[in-house]
Amino acid sequence: MSREWTSKLLTRFAIAGAILGSAVVAGQAQETIRVGAPLPMTGPLAPEGAKQKKGYDLWAETANAKGGIKANGKTYKVEIVYFDYASNTPRAVQGAERMITEDKVNFLFAPFGSGASKAASSVSERYGIPTIAATASSAEVYDQGYKFLFGTLTPNETVTEPIANIVTSKNKDVKKVAILARNDLFPLAVAQQMEKSLKAKGMEIVAFERYAIGTMDHSAAVTQMRAARPDWVYATGYVNDLILIRKQMNELGLRPKVITMVAGPAYREFAEATGPLGENISSVAWWHPAVRYKGKDVFGTTEAFNKAWDAKYKGEADYAEASAAAAGAILQLGIEKADSIDPKKVRDALASLDVETFYGKVKFGPSGQITSLEPPVFQLRGGKTVVVWPEAVKQGELEFFK
Amino acid sequence: MIYFQILANGLMLGALYACIAVGFSLVWGVLNVINILHGTFIVLGSYIAFFAFRFAGIHPFVSVFIAGFVLFLMGYAIQSAMINRVIAAPVLITLTLTFGIDLVLNNAMLVAFSADYRKINLPSPLPSFEVASIFLPGDRVAAMGLALLLTILLYFLLRATNVGRAIIAVRMDREAAALMGVDVKRVNAITFGIGALMAGATGALISVIYPISPLNSSAFLGKAFVVCVLGGLGSVPGALVGGLMLGVLESFGGFWFGPEHAVTLSFGLLLILLFARPGGLLGKRGYE
Amino acid sequence: MKRDWVILVCGAAAIGALGWSGDNYFIRLLTILCMYATLAQSWNFIGGFAGYPSFATAAFFGLGAYTSGVLQNQGLPILMCWGLAGLCAAVFAVLIGGAILHLRGHYFAIATLIIAEMLREIVNTTPNLTGGGMGLNLPILRISVDVQSRVFLLAMLVLAVVTTAAAILLQRSRLGFGLRCIQQNESAASILGVNAYQYKTAAFGMSAVFVGMAGAIYASWVNYIEPPDVFDILIAVKPLVMVLLGGIGTIFGPIIGAMVLLALEELVWRNFLTVHAAALGVIIILLVLFLPNGLFSLLKDLSAKRAKQ
Repeated sequence: MSREWTSKLLTRFAIAGAILGSAVVAGQAQETIRVGAPLPMTGPLAPEGAKQKKGYDLWAETANAKGGIKANGKTYKVEIVYFDYASNTPRAVQGAERMITEDKVNFLFAPFGSGASKAASSVSERYGIPTIAATASSAEVYDQGYKFLFGTLTPNETVTEPIANIVTSKNKDVKKVAILARNDLFPLAVAQQMEKSLKAKGMEIVAFERYAIGTMDHSAAVTQMRAARPDWVYATGYVNDLILIRKQMNELGLRPKVITMVAGPAYREFAEATGPLGENISSVAWWHPAVRYKGKDVFGTTEAFNKAWDAKYKGEADYAEASAAAAGAILQLGIEKADSIDPKKVRDALASLDVETFYGKVKFGPSGQITSLEPPVFQLRGGKTVVVWPEAVKQGELEFFK
Repeated sequence: MIYFQILANGLMLGALYACIAVGFSLVWGVLNVINILHGTFIVLGSYIAFFAFRFAGIHPFVSVFIAGFVLFLMGYAIQSAMINRVIAAPVLITLTLTFGIDLVLNNAMLVAFSADYRKINLPSPLPSFEVASIFLPGDRVAAMGLALLLTILLYFLLRATNVGRAIIAVRMDREAAALMGVDVKRVNAITFGIGALMAGATGALISVIYPISPLNSSAFLGKAFVVCVLGGLGSVPGALVGGLMLGVLESFGGFWFGPEHAVTLSFGLLLILLFARPGGLLGKRGYE
Repeated sequence: MKRDWVILVCGAAAIGALGWSGDNYFIRLLTILCMYATLAQSWNFIGGFAGYPSFATAAFFGLGAYTSGVLQNQGLPILMCWGLAGLCAAVFAVLIGGAILHLRGHYFAIATLIIAEMLREIVNTTPNLTGGGMGLNLPILRISVDVQSRVFLLAMLVLAVVTTAAAILLQRSRLGFGLRCIQQNESAASILGVNAYQYKTAAFGMSAVFVGMAGAIYASWVNYIEPPDVFDILIAVKPLVMVLLGGIGTIFGPIIGAMVLLALEELVWRNFLTVHAAALGVIIILLVLFLPNGLFSLLKDLSAKRAKQ
């Protein structure tokens, strides 16, 4: 009644056209499960948004091709509702609320990255809509006591500890480390975590520099680091930052024994853009196509997932793409376990999941963040990533610069 | 010794900044148009260089001329077809118009080329050379040289040719120029075209240095803004001085106070400068 | 003047009634409308009446948001935080205004633009106080979703009404008269005995106080703020475009402009998944090129007057 009245009045305003579309959507019968996905398809984060979309699309296609999701004696088709928030967090929050109240989505995938996921989760929490974040790893995202937010990336320390172990155990000459971090939620958090992990190993931090978002030149930082003569340079940021940092390190003669960059080398674009300069850069990702798990999810084994990915997109998935697909697969496991699409029941089912998927073992901690992954360490060689840890899926040994 | 390295870094960066800003400064000074499109023009120049390299193997430094030519035509067309219609309106109107055109162009690039960062990997990049333990990256030095050359060429174009004199005449006094028989609309279009040309050429030049993506446009635009205010509007030497100064300042600021403060410092200096000398370092007082 | 008050009361009542009966997303849209109406109206004080093109809206908004956010985390009551945020923004504007209000035209615009950038960087580099790049959490209100959305609509609506009331009062006041003199010819105004400096500073302060409060309410509303969000350049640009759309230096122009721009935005956002920016761009181009006598007519008059001088 009130909706009718509202729309009637609105037709008199110029806004009418905009609001009408939603009223139609709201009236549809639900034989489908609708999952809302606010993504940054334009703006600074557009490359990341495109990755997530590929993962979600593959999951929806696979789930539907296998007959949909069964729950409550019915079979549901999966439909993903996309919304471009143009890399603008307030828009992402607005989009999340629109999807919940007007598009009537049953579940939500969080926007890209830690900051936006945190902001948008406050909306889905208020409405009690289970939300899966595929690209938020910082523990600060999950520290608000929210019940409906789940994350598929393990906390930052799981990506700093292994590489600190490997490098220190393999080469006793590596003692001095320089850290260069982007002053932004995830890159800064992971760099600070790295600093802790290194100090615990007795390493000396000879430089810790931060650079502002949108920095166009790293020569000052690189020159300063060079003066400190580090054995190891650890840089964090996004692909474009890291490409530039690597190039300027080379130009300005900063040549340590180890170069580690997070998160970028896992992406094809990074290897393509750095070319020969990418050689031997090490990195960590939450997932790698070389891992081997026997999943109980819709994709099955990791090999089967790789095959499905190659068939649709040609090539291998990186961790961000796989994590998005995993978010869908995990949601599906939760629905099937709850045998219902009731948000509360699905939430409880997700919270109690303990199962193996193509992506790894899935078990969420009390905060909702996954705790069971073992993020592989790898190194670029000849434009390809070579896993050097964990032992079970190792493809080669860590190499040092001469 | 390290200070010489920091200074060299700053000068090389500054030359690029000057090149980024000079076309923007020209358009602002002569047409009184704040051209929001400038950053997108630069990125477009980079893409032209990128595709010329990928599909025809053309070296980006050669593409400087191709990109400049294509962008000149584009700028000329945009000015004649759209901006000239409202050129006499207050600056906020023309700014809004270029903002609108920028939304369209940038969005088109995003759809056509995707937002993924790309990079030109030259098969034989110029090596870094070391002089008394100062590292000078080969392609940056070359880019700096070309940037200075372009800027000087523009300077002589304005001083020594009929078109250039007409542009300067319009900058000094639009009405008087029209009375003296200058086709102001055509000069406007040529000026905007030259602004775009400089942007396109710069784009090709820096394609060997920066990763290429439509997302970079706002960063370039921001630098152009700062350089213009530092150096003063519409003057080629002003852009050069402003660019070099910003480069050196960011370099030393980043070194002394940490890279995260480099931007704050340059803005702070800008505010002080605005306070003390609103016309820019080389600007003429009362001229706007 | 009486007519202005009637329109204001009726408009506010209509939005209140619409909000009360609408669903939560619709209420969100109305809240955003009230927020931008406040911002546009505030910009009009300095940009419209006084003719000083300010981009400081984003600076005041972010400053208000962070002031309130930090204070709320110290346990101060929410209303007091909102008030202090407005006060803080106003004091900041008066101080900064002293330094930059002697600049004219482009240079003033750039100086105001830089202020927002600087504040953003300062917040970014003081993580102990503001959370820095990590963002800042605000205490969550433990009340139901429906009540919450209505409470924030009401807060923003009241703020928009107060701002508009201030505009109505300003228009008829000595201050408003003085500002219009300054806008038309500042040196002549000074000769006539208008203390241009004081007047401009007052207008700049007025353009900050409500924006700071809007930022504060916004922060409480979304629970989590980050520097790039609250110091976003778009927060400065959009109100300006809204005022240009609706009519510069008028009372209801900014509100109409806000409605039209937000409606267009919502429309293109719903209908074009990845080319909405281009669609918005086309609309802006068409408006500028083909409606110079419609929405922009008032502005044209102004520029004609300027050209005569």
